[in-house]
Amino acid sequence: MFSVSVLTSGCSKSSDSTATTGTAKGKKVTIALMPKSKGNAYFISCKNGADKAAKELGVDLVFDGPTDPDPAKQNEIIENWITLGVDGIAAACENKEGISTALRKAKQKGIKVVTYDADSLADARDFFVNQATPEGIGFTLMDEAARLSNSEGEFAIITASLTAANMIEWQKYIEQRRVEKYPNMKMVALRPCDDLKDKAQSEATSLMSANPNLKLIMAICSPAVPGAAEAVKQAGKVGQVKVIGLGLPSENRRYVKEGVTDSVILWKTEDLGNLTIRATKALVDGDLKPGATSFNAGDLGAIEIKGDNILLGKPFIFNKENIDQFNF
Amino acid sequence: MKYFREISVALALLALLVALAIVAPAFFQPQPLLSLATREAPTLIVACGMALVIICRQIDISVASQFAICSVCAGLLAAMKLPLVVVLPASICIGAILGSINGALIAGLGLPSIVVTLATMVTWREALRWQRQGEFVNLPDNVQWFGLSQFAGQWTVIAVAVVLLILLAIAMKRIAAGRFVYAVGSDAEAARLAGIPPQRVTFLTFAFMGALVGLAAMMNVVQSPQVDPKSGTGIELKTIAAVVVGGVAISGGRGNLWGAFAGLLLLACVSPALTHLHVDSYWEKAIQGMIILLAVVADGIRSKRGNA
Repeated sequence: MFSVSVLTSGCSKSSDSTATTGTAKGKKVTIALMPKSKGNAYFISCKNGADKAAKELGVDLVFDGPTDPDPAKQNEIIENWITLGVDGIAAACENKEGISTALRKAKQKGIKVVTYDADSLADARDFFVNQATPEGIGFTLMDEAARLSNSEGEFAIITASLTAANMIEWQKYIEQRRVEKYPNMKMVALRPCDDLKDKAQSEATSLMSANPNLKLIMAICSPAVPGAAEAVKQAGKVGQVKVIGLGLPSENRRYVKEGVTDSVILWKTEDLGNLTIRATKALVDGDLKPGATSFNAGDLGAIEIKGDNILLGKPFIFNKENIDQFNF
Repeated sequence: MKYFREISVALALLALLVALAIVAPAFFQPQPLLSLATREAPTLIVACGMALVIICRQIDISVASQFAICSVCAGLLAAMKLPLVVVLPASICIGAILGSINGALIAGLGLPSIVVTLATMVTWREALRWQRQGEFVNLPDNVQWFGLSQFAGQWTVIAVAVVLLILLAIAMKRIAAGRFVYAVGSDAEAARLAGIPPQRVTFLTFAFMGALVGLAAMMNVVQSPQVDPKSGTGIELKTIAAVVVGGVAISGGRGNLWGAFAGLLLLACVSPALTHLHVDSYWEKAIQGMIILLAVVADGIRSKRGNA
């Protein structure tokens, strides 16, 4: 499974001056942003969105994190930020429990704390910027499958394991959507690939020969998307059996461009960074308070808040037309 | 009967294939079968090595981590545009080095192989995870299928594995080194008294195992345009199971490569067969487990009778 993150709109539309909120509240706000690891293209893309938002809002953005995912190093950096006296901290947490003590300490010192991509314990932060809800992922996958197969015919799902909680949750929403909107589509098989690309390829090969009318393979763990695509390509069934899935653009670019994989679903990482900074800034300014149900996020529009989760919104679909704009 | 075990595994496989021919004839389409054979060829190479290790009365559970390291290194070398004639020996050498580390600790220091290879398994795997962060290695275009057509590439991979199996099976019977492995596996002390150096045989068996893993990793790398750093995960279980199902005694000294081959064929067919029979995938691992259990029970019954 790939690391959790939020959907964002990669190329933020120019919102000009309309969304600029008050820097009139005195000193310049400093927000510290922490990735799970610094060199990761996924988080670099998040940072690009964060930079844009920070520039627009007049925020001083501090970006630091471990070179490699390291919970202890994350704590160390947060301790430093507490000493520095930043106004807000936004962190993607490598270890839920591990980071919570440091974040709680920051909160006690009056620093506003937001998590994004991967959450801490709920009491250690004010809000979690949630990149994708299971409902959003499940519905988007099913809608995309239906669109590509004219809402009829057989499809199969390749998952990581039959026990992965997040995937069972996604399957629930996939099935709910199918029953409600696409009754002529039939799920003929569900196969686990143990989160391995090679095994996904073998599974997809047998799925195609065992189900000659199969029209689409939906791969819901990231290594399974290129695995299924390679199987379809080797079987000479490109176009006849379509491939969609949840994954990273970089792992699927080749197959998307060759027309083997039609759609890769994820969220826009730039929007995730953008929303995270906007939410943290609004918290610092007092414009966003616990209990709020929505939040005006400038160029991202009105954002829904469910409990203490700020929802990025519907996932983003990468396809032949747009995949080259994304490098993570 | 001397080959009772090998024959019973072959019969079980035959029964499965006949059942499939009746219930799900679609299983026998040429393309998916060729694809299945190609996918399993690297596993066969590792299974050959595992059979040797187990015949030598040892075990190597670190093969999956070795496989992943060789795959990623081969991938990175290929991505540096080095030709395959360089990458392939490099992968084999890296495997041999990793195998030699196991061998040196086990044969040199006399440590138990299950503990040593458990430690190296975790060490290599975590080092690789730390290094790659799960990121795929993208290969240049001419690496997949050795730059040949898909059809030719698939047959090359299968041919490498099968030729290796035949050569090793003959070598184990006819060449002194092969007999030495049996001798050390059945009774190391007796072997030593007969002038066979058990430590050297054990060390070389592990080094050879590593080299085979390097070869297998390469045969897997050429099958796709990207290398998954988790390549080979679970291959230790699959190959140990194949070897045990195929009648190689886990207590060493007994069994042969043809049995391991039959065992692997049987286990490799289970997963696609279940897909074709539209059996819920929840059953897959349970059925594989049952096959292994049956094999071990059969072994137990036979050795009891033998002793009586």
